[in-house]
Amino acid sequence: MSKSLRLIVVLTFTALFSGAVLSVLNIYTAPRIELNQNQTLSDAIGQVLPGEKACDVKVIDGVTFYIGRDEKNQPIGVAFLAEGDGFQSRLKILVGMDMALTRILKIKILQQAETPGLGTKIENDPTNKTDAAWFTNQFNDLPVAKAISYVKNQKPVAAESQIQAITGATISSKSVVEIINAAIAKNRELFLKKVK
Amino acid sequence: MEEKIQKVPAGESQMPKVAPAKTSESPSKPEKRAFILSSSPHIQAEEDVAKIMRAVVYALLPTAVFGIYFFGWRALVMMLVGIAAAVLTEALLNLVQKKPQTISDGSAVVTGLLLVLTLPPSLPYWMIIVGAFVAIFIGKQLFGGLGYNIFNPALLGRAFLQASFPIPMTTWTMPRTIDAITTATPLGSFKFEKTLTPYLNLFMGNVGGCVGETSALAIIIGGLFLLYKKYADWRIPVSYLTTVAIFGSLFWLINPAKYPDPIFHLFSGGLMLGAFFMATDMVTTPVTPKGSWIFGIGAGIILVIIRLFGGLPEGVMYSILLMNAFTPLINRYTRPKFFGEAKHV
Amino acid sequence: MVKAKTPLYREFTKGLWRENPILRMVLGTCPTLAVTTTAINGISMGLAVLFTLVMSSLIISLVRKQIPNEVRIATFIVIIATFVTVADRTIAAFWPAVSKSLGPFVPLIVVNCIVLARQEAFASKNPVGRSVLDALGMSVGFTLVLLILASIREIIGSGTWFGMQIMPPTYTSWMVMVLPPGAFLMLGMLIAFSNWLNAKLEK
Repeated sequence: MSKSLRLIVVLTFTALFSGAVLSVLNIYTAPRIELNQNQTLSDAIGQVLPGEKACDVKVIDGVTFYIGRDEKNQPIGVAFLAEGDGFQSRLKILVGMDMALTRILKIKILQQAETPGLGTKIENDPTNKTDAAWFTNQFNDLPVAKAISYVKNQKPVAAESQIQAITGATISSKSVVEIINAAIAKNRELFLKKVK
Repeated sequence: MEEKIQKVPAGESQMPKVAPAKTSESPSKPEKRAFILSSSPHIQAEEDVAKIMRAVVYALLPTAVFGIYFFGWRALVMMLVGIAAAVLTEALLNLVQKKPQTISDGSAVVTGLLLVLTLPPSLPYWMIIVGAFVAIFIGKQLFGGLGYNIFNPALLGRAFLQASFPIPMTTWTMPRTIDAITTATPLGSFKFEKTLTPYLNLFMGNVGGCVGETSALAIIIGGLFLLYKKYADWRIPVSYLTTVAIFGSLFWLINPAKYPDPIFHLFSGGLMLGAFFMATDMVTTPVTPKGSWIFGIGAGIILVIIRLFGGLPEGVMYSILLMNAFTPLINRYTRPKFFGEAKHV
Repeated sequence: MVKAKTPLYREFTKGLWRENPILRMVLGTCPTLAVTTTAINGISMGLAVLFTLVMSSLIISLVRKQIPNEVRIATFIVIIATFVTVADRTIAAFWPAVSKSLGPFVPLIVVNCIVLARQEAFASKNPVGRSVLDALGMSVGFTLVLLILASIREIIGSGTWFGMQIMPPTYTSWMVMVLPPGAFLMLGMLIAFSNWLNAKLEK
């Protein structure tokens, strides 16, 4: 066998071996990975739209809306993804709202890699023993007829769309507020015009 | 042989004593003094580390007194804790490393004091001890002791505390209050709430902030003393402050509503303390005049960028630490030429 | 072969201390610094490397006589990448939480110097048994250091170990330890300590 032929044969066999292993692997793992991802998303939708039993997916101008329905098949709310930059990472937030998009039902942080122990409190604050998710819970049933704002060192007024910023993580708190505000402003028009 | 050797008695004479030609004398009379071979310069000043450090402590006294006046006796206890921790750490590390004891040169006292002056007045004492330990251990002794450290030890200690305990390190108390009401620093309230602080308060120091950074007046008094004694290179504070003023006003002129004016830049935060006492540290800043200019200008630009566009309200610490890292490079490229030295091709 | 004289067990034990990939050779520091924020991350990363390294060493040592010198690196990389993908997909399928917290560092094992270095320096020149022992020793050494580093960082930085609260509730976490500077500081201290210990032991 000539030298160059041998190189080709060896590399081809290595690649074939690799391809075979990976195809077998894919048969077993791909469905599970997809299931995991769908599970995460549908769990999250269920959380931000309390009482959701079924979910329609509607894509309007490239924005995906998840319309949740209760057991009587009545629409109870709509969820969408809000995305933007936090203090040091990309934030992905799932926002659940009523059908008129005037009130937030619940939000959930899907992805963040903020400063451990500070910015991560937007998702989970272990120093708050009674409610580790106090930051996101502030958004529960928050009226958003006007844009959400944050306050520091004073009590927020929910009726005024105010939330309390995290001490030491003002930028992360501010980012969450701004990302949600921007997404609501953009999606409200889009959704109300196309759906109704 | 001996005729050509110049002897410089250690730290004694101001003038070089050239050994007189002894060709006529017989070499049978051996000198009792050891010859010290040394290259130029042969003139030695009477300055030593301990003396300079003492002067720095004197220069810091007004700042310390103002700090105690504004933030109460707790500030004094903080300073004592910081100094004690720094000195003890150095003594302990010298013992462990079996090195000659160096605490008497006073540099640990200065490090401990400077560290506390850059800390919030409500910081728990044990955190001060941690900071002083890190400053001396990682900031100085690991590099080989005074003179070998790359970064300003006090600032390194502060950076460690800032990264470790971000909440206590950004909790500020109102000056002249008994029960320590929390407040924001002038820079913080500008960055997050867009409110300005009256200039007189900024200048006197009657604002929230670190123990020793609030009073521009006290720092300038001490700083001028250091400059007068020539223990600090005037070029660094001048270039640092001027750069901040010019670069800051540039943005202010573009958009006065969004960016603060240069006076606010100069007198708020730790800029004064940093410019006079941190950026002038002999060990961690360039040795050449041209290098000093570069150091000050670089630190000024970094500071304004952090203050205006960074996530943090204040950037004096990082601006100086970053320029500390550049110091060996600056020294290398600003090395004066020998007389008659040709350009390297 | 010269190597044939080394006793078999030493092929395993050298990776633990004498030729430890992190402490002695300072290889693979990228995952070492990046993922050691919690003990569980550290040990997961170590096990992923163990799987990849052992499987790659096994296969490459089996076919070492067939691999022409000119394409050896390409062949190693294809084989390593295959097992890395196996590890990555398996973790993603069965332990999605671990997969999420390790992020891109599992796929990055492909370019981990430890894995390629063992193929180039050892598996391509030694019989299967020795190669597998060598790979095991190296990756166990790697995993142990990762576990120690991650434990120190998690305990000081978060007050927990494997997620369990072990510090008293009044403990203030040293945030710096879970941040990148803490990784560099602790790795430096660990290497300094091991050098000191080594000097002591050799005396």
